[in-house]
Amino acid sequence: MSTPGNVSTYTCPYCRMTNTDDGAPTCPACGAPVDVRLRVSKSGWSEQPPVRDMARLHFNRSTCQISGSYVPVAEMNLDQEDWVYFSHHVLLHTDPNVRLEPLQMAGGWNRMLAGMPLVMLKAQGPGHLAVSADEPGEILAVPLRAHHGVDVVEHRFLAATGNVGYQWRSSNIWFTTWGDDNNEEWHYPLGQNMDRFMATGGPGLLLLHAPGNTFVRDLQQGEHILVQPGGLIWKDPSVNMYLHFEYPRGNYWFSSARWECKSIWLNLAGPGRVAIQSVFEPPETVGSVVNSSGASTKFW
Amino acid sequence: MDRIECQWCKGQNEPDRTSCSTCGAPLDKRNMVSDSGWSEAPRLRDMTEFKFSNSTCQVEGEIVPVAELALAHGDGVFFEHHVLLWKEPSVPLGAMNTPSRKMLGGMPHIVSIAQGPGRIAFSRDAAGEIVVLPLHPGMELDVREHAFLLGTHSLNYSFIRIKGLANVLHGGSGMYMDRFITQQQPGLLLLHGYGNVFQKTLQPGERILVEPGGFLYKDSSVTMNAVQQNLRSGLVRHSMYMAEMIGPGRVGIQSMYVHHGSE
Repeated sequence: MSTPGNVSTYTCPYCRMTNTDDGAPTCPACGAPVDVRLRVSKSGWSEQPPVRDMARLHFNRSTCQISGSYVPVAEMNLDQEDWVYFSHHVLLHTDPNVRLEPLQMAGGWNRMLAGMPLVMLKAQGPGHLAVSADEPGEILAVPLRAHHGVDVVEHRFLAATGNVGYQWRSSNIWFTTWGDDNNEEWHYPLGQNMDRFMATGGPGLLLLHAPGNTFVRDLQQGEHILVQPGGLIWKDPSVNMYLHFEYPRGNYWFSSARWECKSIWLNLAGPGRVAIQSVFEPPETVGSVVNSSGASTKFW
Repeated sequence: MDRIECQWCKGQNEPDRTSCSTCGAPLDKRNMVSDSGWSEAPRLRDMTEFKFSNSTCQVEGEIVPVAELALAHGDGVFFEHHVLLWKEPSVPLGAMNTPSRKMLGGMPHIVSIAQGPGRIAFSRDAAGEIVVLPLHPGMELDVREHAFLLGTHSLNYSFIRIKGLANVLHGGSGMYMDRFITQQQPGLLLLHGYGNVFQKTLQPGERILVEPGGFLYKDSSVTMNAVQQNLRSGLVRHSMYMAEMIGPGRVGIQSMYVHHGSE
């Protein structure tokens, strides 16, 4: 594709950002390789290619380099005007002249109750610093256009540029069962909260970490797909979600709907993009469902 | 005759080789260095073979790699006994005497020795990389405890006590570090790094802060201190510790580590 003035541009099929085609082997916004075909499964999932070793991303006046392949590291070269924030436990190394200070955030008590990071650090350039999620997987770069946002499952966040706003809200995905001692047990297959990242004042960069491999797809208006709740990484805010319980047909008392034999799904409804990971923790299936957030049910 | 210099260990190789004969690093890849100067430890190709003394070492597997040694007569290696994966029955095992103080530091009080001839294999039983560090005569290298996989018989193995209470409590490396010294003969040291391993050479007086749990090895000329970073979030005060490395010398880190948290 060309624009007037013969400046060649390239639209990345993964992050949808349009960049000047300067011959770089990777997308400067998300790091996806430029020279690979879009790989789409027959059901419509595109495999997000891992960011190549030493691929360089650009944001504002700074760069971010992804190195390593098993437990990748995101190394930032921060301009003095730029800053990033992250949870303090992902910091791997830093130049001594990078200014580290806590990011002021409200709702500390709620964050602690929800198991979210209590101390977020703000790192102001100039200088280098690196973050690592400390577990095998892929680093996902999600470039955000101004005033665009994504909803991210908790504990997937790695780092974000300073102009990306961070809020959290209840995931509103829950169900209750009767426990052994006749108490109602609460289950949150997606976690109690979800993070919402929104770019303000200009484009921003969000880095996530996903264990295993990552797959993305575009859901059309009204299109539905069932995914494992623990497999979701992020979604566009326009994608609605609710629980879906499936009970297989069985002839025995332990396979009755009153007991525990069920599948718990997350029903995602378009329009919008969703991303899932190939490593996930299956939800607890013990006990019959007493109450739940909005859910559909299917008996086979 | 042209020789190819290995970008990792600086060993000289014949032009037809595709991997370094001293450390196994691929020779046909450019040196991967990040903008801030961290070199990525070369990912050894599956079945890469390299030599030490009269013996050979072959690295197999890529997720949880195994180092398989064909020990020649007169050659030997030492290792922590629990990393031994298999051996031929004819390979004799012995024990190296280590001071009892090491037991207090949680370090292995039994360091085993295997003598050639015969085959023997080692694995650290965790996902990561085997880092091959050939040591030239007169070098001293400090290694995080429980990170070494094996060392060749020409290495002198000792340990140093980490000085300073703050360094012991917050440095993330425990009470002791392994120290490997070569004297007249070169030696070979194999480490296991969790995740990916990166190395940076610090200039004299150059400083860098690293996550204490991420530290893997350093030249003995590099000074390591635990430095406190005070953080305040609302009414709650936290402090976290980073390991400050001061050059000159090499520093190696791993990208999967034990985070030592904040208080």
